[in-house]
Amino acid sequence: MRSFWKTIVAILRELADENAYARFLHAEGAVASKETWRRFSDHRLKAKYSRARCC
Amino acid sequence: MPKLLSRVLWGVIAITGALCLGGIATYRGESINSIWLILAAVCVYLIAFRFYAHFIAAKVMLLDNLRATPAERLRDGHDYEPTNKWIVFGHHFAAIAGPGPLVGPTLAAQFGYLPGTLWIILGCVLGGAVQDFVILFCSMRRNGKSVGQMAREEIGKVGGFVALITVLMIMIILLAVTGLVVVNALKGSPWGTFTIAATMPIAVLMGLYLRFWRPGKVLEVSAIGFVLILLSIFGGEWVSKSESLAPMFTYSGIAIAVMLIVFGFTASALPVWLLLAPRDYLSTFVKLGVVLMLALGILAVRPELQLPAFSRFADGTGPIFAGKIFPFCFITIACGAISGFHSLISSGTTPKLIAREWHAWPVGYGSMLLEGFVAIMAMIAACALQPGVYFAVNSPAGIVGATPAAATATISAWGYAVTPDQMSALAAEVGEQTLFSRTGGAPSLALGMAHIFAKFGGEKILGFWYHFAIMFEALFILTVIDAGTRVGRFMLQDLLGHIYKPLGRTGWMPGVLLTSALVVCGWGYFLYNGVNDPLGGINSLWPLFGIANQLLAAIALCVATTILIKMHGAKFMWVTCLPLSWLIVVTFTAGWQKIFSDSPKIGFLAAADALARGAQTASTSTLIFNNRLDAAVCGTFLVLVAVILVDSIRVWIGLLDGSKPSVLSEAPFVLTQLKPEQV
Repeated sequence: MRSFWKTIVAILRELADENAYARFLHAEGAVASKETWRRFSDHRLKAKYSRARCC
Repeated sequence: MPKLLSRVLWGVIAITGALCLGGIATYRGESINSIWLILAAVCVYLIAFRFYAHFIAAKVMLLDNLRATPAERLRDGHDYEPTNKWIVFGHHFAAIAGPGPLVGPTLAAQFGYLPGTLWIILGCVLGGAVQDFVILFCSMRRNGKSVGQMAREEIGKVGGFVALITVLMIMIILLAVTGLVVVNALKGSPWGTFTIAATMPIAVLMGLYLRFWRPGKVLEVSAIGFVLILLSIFGGEWVSKSESLAPMFTYSGIAIAVMLIVFGFTASALPVWLLLAPRDYLSTFVKLGVVLMLALGILAVRPELQLPAFSRFADGTGPIFAGKIFPFCFITIACGAISGFHSLISSGTTPKLIAREWHAWPVGYGSMLLEGFVAIMAMIAACALQPGVYFAVNSPAGIVGATPAAATATISAWGYAVTPDQMSALAAEVGEQTLFSRTGGAPSLALGMAHIFAKFGGEKILGFWYHFAIMFEALFILTVIDAGTRVGRFMLQDLLGHIYKPLGRTGWMPGVLLTSALVVCGWGYFLYNGVNDPLGGINSLWPLFGIANQLLAAIALCVATTILIKMHGAKFMWVTCLPLSWLIVVTFTAGWQKIFSDSPKIGFLAAADALARGAQTASTSTLIFNNRLDAAVCGTFLVLVAVILVDSIRVWIGLLDGSKPSVLSEAPFVLTQLKPEQV
């Protein structure tokens, strides 16, 4: 049951891009801040919204 | 699990599925419980997943867990990242689930519950899930390339170019038809309009919160946004009852269409972090939550289906859209059974996240089965309504009559009893002025969902649930419109950049404004005319969208077939050729009928001719032009796909007779270094 909830939370965090942000911080060796979030989200959202969305 | 126990278990599932399918196919009583549909779908989906999809994975695709996926080989912490399979599953499902699997089955319920249900079950298993799975596999073996890039590499330059043009045209029709669904749900509804209008400042507030106050706290801000949206639903009720405020939020269909067009243009030019992204996060969570709630609600309530197995409109005289079950049921339900748009997702983000090749099995095939289940739930919600109510809500005034008395008389004469008092009482219960002729599927789906949810809180809160469902549908449709306009702009810039280089630069403001305006004018034109259409617009726009979406699936299946021939020769080409052949037959028949049918209710050209023979007014000439334009658009779709099909067949013949070298453009095999605990 605990692992089920862990997976649900991980899915929600992935959908919320929070996991991707954590990976970004890890890869860049940076700490969470307004500046790093902007850098991450600008790159992430640019890629995300240049692809066709499903109907 | 011991082998014998496993065989017994699968035997029980197979027998249960066969009994339920046989039951719903042969039962012709007054009503049938929805649990039969649920069990039939679940059993068929389980068997298809365990046996058919496993066969495709093991024998056709030759999935290999020792082979490093692009997520591992090209790992960059941004796009490519080996991810837990259930997280990728959730991500992929959230990306493919849009308004299509909800609206399509609701509209197709005009034929009765049986044709649509069978198509959702079988089409999903043999077509939609196969397409999603095979394209995901092909993209995964090619470093996450898009279906357009694969078309260019595997079939040729013509295929790639035609795929790009087709996607752009489909986007235009998709945005128009989803816009029309929102317009028909909100016209004359101060409650709904206030709630949806409130989502704009809420999304902007979320965007600012995320950017300046709590960067990175997306789940936190989404929870805040959700609470604010719930409050806006209560606020909407208060506004609708206020004599001074209600008129400020009561608009005609045309006015809402114009607002939507202005919104589309403005939103597509705003920075994505301000409006689009926060609303997209919110709509994704609301969408998943509502799907889960609907599943639990249906399982708990197990509503009786009030619509018959086959309605009298199986003969093609339907009021919602004209045409017989074949081919129109199969193009009306697109996303719930097979959707070309899924191929764009399967060759987008998902292949870059798959950690092990076998994870594509649940992600590619399994996600589509879940989408099929969502479509089954939408079918149940629509069919649980009284038939008279269902047709009163979904039939355009141009067919049933503009007054409540005329509409109820027409519908009752069809054998589906309904009275003006019944409709006005229902409208009052959900806080609407009228529910007549709210075409588009969203209001009737919202009614069906509200009746299911209200079983847990009494009929007194029917209005809340109705507007909650409308909010949920409108929220993600607005996101589709905003993001779709942006993507359409990028595609157009890509094309126009070949003519005049600066137009291809996404940072050049005049180019951005010009291309945004062109895309918005494109879908806005179809939306505006759909709203003005005396037959409700859905009659012409939804089939056009269905044909286009299925033709995109045909393109994806052409690419998949080419790759399977390169891998195995003719041995397994039937896996993708089977759904491809069906799609070609269905869409070309539907397209031909929509253009050339003698019936003005079906054929665009016949409708234009009938209008030309009648009394001439200013609006008549516009309607004539629109019908001819729709015929031209439909014809263009057919020609574009015929070009890809002929080009593909030419390539297949060359590959099979050996005159063309069978070169697979797969990335070379690299042994995985990922340890089990890392995936």
